[in-house]
Amino acid sequence: MATDKTNLQLVTNGILNENPIFRLVLSMCPAVGISTTVMNGFMLGIAVLFVQVFSSCTIAIFKDKIHPRIRIPTYTLTIATWVTVIDMVLAAYLPEAYAKMGIFIKLIVAFAIITMRLEMFAGKESVTASFWDGIGMGLGFMFGMMALGFVRELLGLGTVLGYDVLGFKPLLFFILPFAGFFCVGLMMGFFNYIEARYRRAKRA
Amino acid sequence: MKDIATIIFRLTISCLLAGLVMGTAFVLTNKAKLHNAEEREHKVMLGLLGYSATKPAPEFLVLHPVHRYIVTSGETSAIGYLVPVKGANEAEYAFVEIGLDGAFQGQQPVKLAAEQAGEAGPRDAAIAAALGTGKALRYADQTIVVTENGKRRAYLLPGEFPGFKTFIGVILALDPAFTVLGLEIMEHEEDPGLGGEIVQGYFKNQFQGKTFAALKKLGVVKTPLPEEYRRVLEPGKNGEAISPEEIAKIQAQYQDKDIYALTGATISSRSVTNGVKAIANKFAYRLAILDRVLAEQHIAVPF
Repeated sequence: MATDKTNLQLVTNGILNENPIFRLVLSMCPAVGISTTVMNGFMLGIAVLFVQVFSSCTIAIFKDKIHPRIRIPTYTLTIATWVTVIDMVLAAYLPEAYAKMGIFIKLIVAFAIITMRLEMFAGKESVTASFWDGIGMGLGFMFGMMALGFVRELLGLGTVLGYDVLGFKPLLFFILPFAGFFCVGLMMGFFNYIEARYRRAKRA
Repeated sequence: MKDIATIIFRLTISCLLAGLVMGTAFVLTNKAKLHNAEEREHKVMLGLLGYSATKPAPEFLVLHPVHRYIVTSGETSAIGYLVPVKGANEAEYAFVEIGLDGAFQGQQPVKLAAEQAGEAGPRDAAIAAALGTGKALRYADQTIVVTENGKRRAYLLPGEFPGFKTFIGVILALDPAFTVLGLEIMEHEEDPGLGGEIVQGYFKNQFQGKTFAALKKLGVVKTPLPEEYRRVLEPGKNGEAISPEEIAKIQAQYQDKDIYALTGATISSRSVTNGVKAIANKFAYRLAILDRVLAEQHIAVPF
């Protein structure tokens, strides 16, 4: 079974139609816990992008060799391997970036979005399609995290990317973990609303 | 049955493959990683003493490492310190053994080149050779005594303590009166945005200037950090300039205050505070004993 989408469609699919956070509702733990600032979202997004692309390609290459009964352990193993390798390479050659991103990379092993994408897509599709799907999912996750981070940082700390824009802190509780639920819920509703509007406009 | 055999076989193969990939990456990157870590540690240590790339450390500033070991022979254990020795010909280091009651137990000269002292392998071997057989050696920690023109200037204490998730590694800088010169978080895996904020200036700089007496009864309060204090803790964060007099005034005002906890990360804040207290307390206690023994035995150390 091969996908009938073009490469570009695969990328936009990950960002909009099947956005991991707002449409697939996967990997909610980081979405709720870590999306407190735009920068956090960006860092985690980059890390997920790399791990997703590498893991998707690996699984797409070896998909015929993986016994169907042990798919999930194999997927977890693949993700863990890539997370470890990326962690080590960053620490060795990009110490500056590692100082900022190190804590995010180690979190990724247990992310639902990556396992789910390996199961739903890379385990069935070609390497090229999996690569572009991985890019799309990574960018979609990054977009979701940064959008959440923007709202929470602006409302919670009054800053954007660390720069003071409001000069005061409107609602401090927005950076606390439980406010992540409000934010995710509200933004999910917002995206659904936009899509509903778009569909209606298309039909008419 | 055949299925199970296939599953076991394939899973083993995938584990081996994964291990091979990770092992290769480790072999290829480990040296650079260690080098980076060492470089960073050195930079941080100088940074804690107030030096940076634009303001290099003067040449008469020397860092003397003192390594602490636990020596066990049979049922009894003792603390052993590897100290550099001044003016000795052959041995540049001496291994001083001190009993748990604080009594001097003996000293052995240790032959060790200065560049080997920083490496665990050759250092342990040299000490073991000097001690002879029948004694087990276990590495405990390292202290760096900083001297300026032969006078003690500061102590740098690398340490580790449990945080909210895993261990937090820090370097604490104390002056000769055990007042905190600075704190740097080297390693941690706290949650980004919550406990991870311990690396931010507005938290870790709160320890700066706390005297030993204040440190002993230091606590953590959950009241929000006052804005004026934050401005002093993170100078230049939002581009606003504060005059040195104002900084000194505000710092004096908060000198004996408790540590303001991070929002949403009280446990991490408390771990760091207690960890810093423990490091400083233990060090002060040990140093007093070591200094007394060194003076009594007339061991000439360069610090």
